[in-house]
Amino acid sequence: MRVIHALWLRNLKAFIRNKPALIFNLLFPFFFIFVFGEIFRNDFIENPMSYMLAGIIAATVFDSSFRVSSSTIDDMTSGFMKEVLVSPISRLNIAAGQFVSSATVATVQGVIIFGVGFFIGFRITSPVTVVLALIAMVFIGLVLAGFGLLIATMTKNTQTFQAVSIAITMPMTFMSGAYIPLSMLPGALRWVGYFNPLTYVVSLFRTITLEKLDAPVADLVAEDLAFEIGRVTMGPVQALIVLVVVGTVFIGLSTLVFSKVDFSRMNRSKDDYLEL
Amino acid sequence: MDSIIKVKNFTKKYGGFTAVNNISFEVEQGSIFAFLGPNGAGKSTTINTLVTIFDKTEGELFIDGKDVSTQKADVRKAIGVVFQDSTLDKKMTIEENLKMHCVFYKVPKNEVDERIKFVLTLVDLLDVRKKTVAALSGGMKRRVEIARGLIHYPKVLFLDEPTTGLDPQTRAHVWEYVLRLQKEKNITIFLTTHYMDEAEICSKVAVIDHGKIIAHDTPFNLKKQYTKDRAYITTANPGALEKLLNAQKINYSVKEKYHRIDVENNAELLHILSECRNDITDIEIRKGTLNDVFLEITGREIREGGEN
Repeated sequence: MRVIHALWLRNLKAFIRNKPALIFNLLFPFFFIFVFGEIFRNDFIENPMSYMLAGIIAATVFDSSFRVSSSTIDDMTSGFMKEVLVSPISRLNIAAGQFVSSATVATVQGVIIFGVGFFIGFRITSPVTVVLALIAMVFIGLVLAGFGLLIATMTKNTQTFQAVSIAITMPMTFMSGAYIPLSMLPGALRWVGYFNPLTYVVSLFRTITLEKLDAPVADLVAEDLAFEIGRVTMGPVQALIVLVVVGTVFIGLSTLVFSKVDFSRMNRSKDDYLEL
Repeated sequence: MDSIIKVKNFTKKYGGFTAVNNISFEVEQGSIFAFLGPNGAGKSTTINTLVTIFDKTEGELFIDGKDVSTQKADVRKAIGVVFQDSTLDKKMTIEENLKMHCVFYKVPKNEVDERIKFVLTLVDLLDVRKKTVAALSGGMKRRVEIARGLIHYPKVLFLDEPTTGLDPQTRAHVWEYVLRLQKEKNITIFLTTHYMDEAEICSKVAVIDHGKIIAHDTPFNLKKQYTKDRAYITTANPGALEKLLNAQKINYSVKEKYHRIDVENNAELLHILSECRNDITDIEIRKGTLNDVFLEITGREIREGGEN
């Protein structure tokens, strides 16, 4: 625990000390609020502003957690990982430290938008909602941190990670209903959305923040908070199951890959490698 | 003295390339041991295998009685490592780097501050401990790494090219710290270098080339075995000198302005010098160096300086 705590603190410090990235990360979600605010001004949603904000918070949390995990790559290339690897601590600790800190950064970003949301029309009636939303953010953060670490360990350098991240996360984000409701997408893309785990991240988070966990399924389906895929209904419970399964797979798989990967081959340049 | 490092028939291959070829050596506890050789000789491969980063291809490697391949965690606890390239956490301060290291090595919490103070005093960095590593000079970074490598009181400290890329003054300082430490803590130091003068200070030197150990002894014995002292004499009467040299069957060669004489024993040389002391205009006697040792065994010089 001491190791995970120390790594957590270290990763947070590193994130805060990188001022330009910090400012960009904190401001970026507000750009989406302005762009997508208009799209959600329609009739079928009861509370458009809350609806949109919930989507943006969910998207910000998973996007941020995914990207923050890539700091692992910096640690590998800067040589610091070597210091970690010759120390007696287990690699599982390092992976865990990375998950926890990515989830923390992501949650803090989510909370900031959450807070600002209250000034622009976010409405919540029960304090329980706030607690649930917070738990959901941490959970979403952890799931995506697992995904991020998996991609980071497999790509092993920042450029590749960015390319992969754009190729994977951008479509996944846009086909999750976070910015554009799935029912507004053309048929084929809607089906892609149904198989996108992020769709359920968004729908579950929205159901929580819109305080509709007890609402009848028909109402949820009407607002794109649940989906009827053929004869299967994907409500909040099913969404939670999807997330737990996907999260377990991502975290398990990334921990496995991370503890097996040969970091000795990760030097700054080919010349260094030849030198060894 | 007991051997703290034991290596037997160690071989490391990368694909078809053999980086280290069947080497064996032992390092005594509390000594300073140097691996001397040109770049690409297999020094870093050996050190990286000993510190559990690489896996061996064949052979047996033990540190403090623990097997490097099967008891990695125990070996890691017993060693400190300073790699050729910096492995500091650049975004963090010196103090934060050391604290993190203490966490990794389970240094008791109540001892952490005291130990940080101790090691930073040793390398003269106590006053700048709040500085971010990225803002430090190359020499300071190296000193931080040495301090960090020591803070968990390892039994063996590995230094891979500890002074490469440092200016002469900083090099001298780094050495001062290393020696101070070896005396104060009696830890074993295992280092690789391609600087001759650094190897001279060590208790024992293994000369490595093309993945094989070609000589292994104290610097004194190596020089005694492989090199000769040479006298360079300039004389106004070469004929007389050559006559004396021939009479005593001493090897020499004639250069433009001087005679180069291989000195087998000093008495002989003194005799010759006294015989023709009136003619001698200049004399210089050069001791054999470890570079001569390397030259003698391989026919090549170890390139001095330059990282690559």
